[in-house]
Amino acid sequence: MRAFFQFAIFLSAIWLLAHSNASLAHAIILSSAPSAGATVSGDAVAIRLHFNSRIDHARSKLTLLAPDGTSQTLTPAADAPVDELNAEATRLSSGAWRLRWQVLSVDGHITRGDIPFTVH
Amino acid sequence: MYLFLDIFGYLSVVLRGLTLIAQSFTLGGLAFQMLLWGPLQPKLSVGGLVIEERCRTLLRFSAFAWALLTIASLALDAAALVGTLQLPWSEAVSADFGRADLVIAACALGLAVLVNGPAHRVRSAALLALSLLALAMQTRLTHAASRPDLRWPLLLSDAGHMLGASVWIGGLPYFLIALNGCKAADDWRLIARRYSLMSMAAVAAIVAGGLVMAINYIGSIDAIYGTAYGVMTLAKVGLLLMLLTLGAGNYFLVERLRRDPSTPILRLKRFAEVEIGIGLTVLLAAASLTSLPPGVDLAHDRLNWQEIVERAIPQSLPRLTSPDYDKLTVAQLQAKITLADAGRASAQAAYIPGEGTILPRNAEDIAWSEYNHHWAGVFVVLIGLLALIEHFRWGRWARHWPLLFLGMAAFLFFRADEQAWPLGPAGFFESFRDPEVAQHRIFVLLIAVFGLFEWRVRLRGSNAGPAALVFPLTTALGGALLLTHSHAIANIKDQLLIEMSHTPLALCGVAAGWARWLELRLDGRVHRVAAWIWPVAFVLVGLILLDYREA
Repeated sequence: MRAFFQFAIFLSAIWLLAHSNASLAHAIILSSAPSAGATVSGDAVAIRLHFNSRIDHARSKLTLLAPDGTSQTLTPAADAPVDELNAEATRLSSGAWRLRWQVLSVDGHITRGDIPFTVH
Repeated sequence: MYLFLDIFGYLSVVLRGLTLIAQSFTLGGLAFQMLLWGPLQPKLSVGGLVIEERCRTLLRFSAFAWALLTIASLALDAAALVGTLQLPWSEAVSADFGRADLVIAACALGLAVLVNGPAHRVRSAALLALSLLALAMQTRLTHAASRPDLRWPLLLSDAGHMLGASVWIGGLPYFLIALNGCKAADDWRLIARRYSLMSMAAVAAIVAGGLVMAINYIGSIDAIYGTAYGVMTLAKVGLLLMLLTLGAGNYFLVERLRRDPSTPILRLKRFAEVEIGIGLTVLLAAASLTSLPPGVDLAHDRLNWQEIVERAIPQSLPRLTSPDYDKLTVAQLQAKITLADAGRASAQAAYIPGEGTILPRNAEDIAWSEYNHHWAGVFVVLIGLLALIEHFRWGRWARHWPLLFLGMAAFLFFRADEQAWPLGPAGFFESFRDPEVAQHRIFVLLIAVFGLFEWRVRLRGSNAGPAALVFPLTTALGGALLLTHSHAIANIKDQLLIEMSHTPLALCGVAAGWARWLELRLDGRVHRVAAWIWPVAFVLVGLILLDYREA
């Protein structure tokens, strides 16, 4: 009986470890330019992402995915407000682009997401 | 790296929950030592050396665990940064959260070392200073630290909230050690009275801090029920009410103990055990809440009251006939989903690293899932009803109800993973490469073993011994885990509606587990009432599952 008892506790521990669906993130975008699904004209876009949290700019990242699948890393502006991640994207060709962001909020949470937009 | 990223989110919540538990037991132990044991010891009839040593051992263990868990949490977060940003480790660790974690770990280690010596004024001052510094650093890892606007009221509220939880919940194990170690009614009375006063002050700090945070992080009535943050806060309030009910029971018992020293204190101890269990659940829920964006920030895609009511009211009979595996059969439902999805593009999605993309679900997927939930509901309702029938003299035959768990396990084995053997193309062993399938298989094995185990307990009756406690512990653990499971970060309505049904399931699971615990551990009126509560909670779980809908 004792062995059976220990086995059940062991299985409970496995269950605890195996139950993996939780997520840890709370920096979310309150507004963005360009917004998701927007169409922009011209070959340059001013990117401005406004978050609900203070952002660690040095440990956050912006990547542009081009229509042909190539990617380029953008340098976030160092003088942006504490809750914004800003950058300039230039030489954009026409087509469907995707802005991939990843931020670290100052309380240690990592979040990321995509903003699709079209260059006309 | 990808495997690590896949489990990053879950590990973070678990580590955060365990860290909060270790923190509470450390700070609660120190508060117990400084505010209760130290001042009272000269008045007690026992020398208390054994009690003191046990308390110190627990305190030392908790402080070491706090330090280790904090370092583990730091390593996990830093690894995620290094893996996704290709940063050097030194730069990842030197982020704000890294510096706070390092200070907390150093303080916790200092506490673990310092608690070893005898009580001394300088030592006590050092312990207090380290505790306050660690608590202050811990607030750097909460929502309050990252708010863009005024932060100090939220930081203070958070510190008070955590300190209150530590004094009350974290002090409970030490309270139990002291009660068990003393034999004289006068000693029990003194200890219980002092702990009762400490708990009341702690509850005041918890409620005051919680209110300030709720006002700032939820902000409106509709965000309480319309966002994941609000729903989780409601779950925490529900658990707090359970704790307060038990605390009130203990308060009245302590008052009776003052008037009549012959009052038995067994109920006091048993209620304290349950308070520890529910308290740990609250801390896990708090870890889960920390991972969610505040409701006030989610302006889009909130649930409205009509949507919740529409989802909660049964629209049709439970789906007990399986949809066709090969072809779509519920075209109307599909049209409804497409229509609903078309109007829900306003919220921007946010993911943790490695979370992957949520696949679109068609009507057949939903019908399949609902069918699984409804049959699981049938099993759970039957389990609850048979457990109720077992109470009657004519219903002894119903004591074999744990065998229904075997039926449920078999059902879930066949149905939970339609892509895997025996229904899907993936072979039995091949399907284990999918972490979700592996989880389901372990879960099914657990249910089967659990059913056999409880069946054996039922057959042995009162001779089952500590084995009987596995059932309540596992049920309560299941409820607690449901509170830490997935959340809709960007508040996708469908996910939130599903979560709406999971939260009452979790609360019913917690109530069922601890009611069964009290039935086993107490006699008299509480035993009789608890014996009815947990089967009713099971029936409620089954009914919620029968009403489960995903569209």
